[in-house]
Amino acid sequence: MSIAVPTGALMPGALRLLARAGVARLSGEELGRQLLVDRAGVRVILVRPADVPAYVDHGAADLGIVGKDILWETPGAHYELVDLRFGGCQLVLAVPLASKLNGAETWPPQLRVATKYPRTATAWFESRGQAVEVVQLHGSVELAPQVGLVDAIVDLTATGRTLRENGLRVTATLGASTARLIANQASLKTRTDAVQAAVGRLREAVGL
Amino acid sequence: MLREAQESVLAEMRRWGYRHVITPMVESTEVLERGIGADQRRRLFKFADARGEVVAVVGERTVPVARLVAGKLRGSPLPLRLCYAGPVLSTDDGRFQQRRETYQVGAELVGAPGTVADAEVIALAARCLQASGVQRYQVDVGHAEFFHGIMDAVKLPEEVKAAVRVALAARDFVALETLLEKTPLRSAEHELLLRFPALRGGSEILQAAGGLVRNRRSERALAELAEVQELLVAHGLGEVVSLDLGAIRDFDYYTGIIFEGYGPDVGRPVAQGGRYDGLLARFGRPAPATGFVVQLDLVWEMLIRAARPPALPRIDAAVAWSGSGLKTALRLGSTLRLFGMRAVVDTQAREQAESKTWWRTVGAVNLIHCRNESTVAWTVRGHRTRRLPPEQVAGRLAGGLA
Repeated sequence: MSIAVPTGALMPGALRLLARAGVARLSGEELGRQLLVDRAGVRVILVRPADVPAYVDHGAADLGIVGKDILWETPGAHYELVDLRFGGCQLVLAVPLASKLNGAETWPPQLRVATKYPRTATAWFESRGQAVEVVQLHGSVELAPQVGLVDAIVDLTATGRTLRENGLRVTATLGASTARLIANQASLKTRTDAVQAAVGRLREAVGL
Repeated sequence: MLREAQESVLAEMRRWGYRHVITPMVESTEVLERGIGADQRRRLFKFADARGEVVAVVGERTVPVARLVAGKLRGSPLPLRLCYAGPVLSTDDGRFQQRRETYQVGAELVGAPGTVADAEVIALAARCLQASGVQRYQVDVGHAEFFHGIMDAVKLPEEVKAAVRVALAARDFVALETLLEKTPLRSAEHELLLRFPALRGGSEILQAAGGLVRNRRSERALAELAEVQELLVAHGLGEVVSLDLGAIRDFDYYTGIIFEGYGPDVGRPVAQGGRYDGLLARFGRPAPATGFVVQLDLVWEMLIRAARPPALPRIDAAVAWSGSGLKTALRLGSTLRLFGMRAVVDTQAREQAESKTWWRTVGAVNLIHCRNESTVAWTVRGHRTRRLPPEQVAGRLAGGLA
């Protein structure tokens, strides 16, 4: 049985959860050094957050821990089984403090938006009948409106601090994200016992 | 190797009396869209022909087969057992599955209702996986009506039901749980829906589920599953068959027993199928039908990953020639092929010493070098060369005395 764990913000919470559930006990340091650790029949694989669905969908990992924000961008054939109730954050629409943009009634006919979440952002505006030009960026999205690249950004925020520090304010929330447990569709069939046992223990550990 | 697997699967289908049909590669989108779901529709490769009619390259072949049965084959009495093979195209969904052209072999049993027909098609699918060379495989059998019965019985407002269907289709059980939490009534049906990914096992799962459902549709589905399982045991497949009540498939299309085949280490089903009694009516010849498709690309992935990947097809004999040996070489080639051997005759004259290099590139087991009509030089890989009359070489090879 193998489980993919994301690097970055969700990693400490994911490892604490795996330990609490008795699935695998290992430190972030150890995993960060080796990327792949086998412990008592469980293989833990450390991958970039956006790569977790790829590992799981292709069956390289039976289970994966991944933020809902990633799943919005990469829907696939996996099962989304459990809300793991950590790593909470919001996907928001933010504009510069001085901007006139606020609710939907203030949006111009064509809105320019920078984001790391093009699919989610496009779908959200489309469902509201708003024409939007999405500029896909890979980092420092907060910078884009300040230099006049876009009118607004769609980005993830937990505390809102980064947004405030960059002179941005939130005008709408597109969705709320937490860490999720996903499973490969074939693993549920071909390794039913081991996979279901792990899923059960993780569910219990988050109090479901 | 993909071809070899395809041939083995088709041969198995023919052994079960399925006739190989060839359906068009390009169909009008109007025809295809009568039979396929929204997602498949979006992924069709479409273009316009010279008259401006929008046509598409087929993304699957069940719909073309249904059209064939209702059209060209409308005079043929039912049931019809048909099989097909070939490439299909679907646009990439923008992620990692970049392969646009994939290879499918499928079989359809049209005009036969009932569990005996369901079991026949499942057994055939299992035997096809076996014939393709996949080492370990399993087949999970479920029932679309089990799900429909639950959705009928579950007490939810229509719009919540629609959202439940969407969440299940996306296999998003977190969303499903959130939806069901909002409703005050928590019935046994709710529990069943939430436990969908875990409703898999042997016949004990039927009893467990039977205790939870209180609706005719689901109960009839469970009874049919029990029958099919018993029939599959009689087919000699008790070991590889499991029941999966939580199978999630295109529930608008499937009307009865559904199944999926899995192999080792590939994260997707390698074979899929089930009963679709509604499709033929859309082409004007209402008839029950069931069938399946084997994804050859996935079979191939399993084969090359196996501990001992299958060898490329063996060439039995490389027949070289020089001087006046060409006619002898051609005759020898014909004789060997007549006995079912694979023989390659050289296209240019080569002396015996040079012919050995050529032999290695052909990769044949035997080298036969013909210099005249009376004797040839015969070398079996790893043995000394012998000089014999050509008829004796052919005779020994045919008799397996090499």
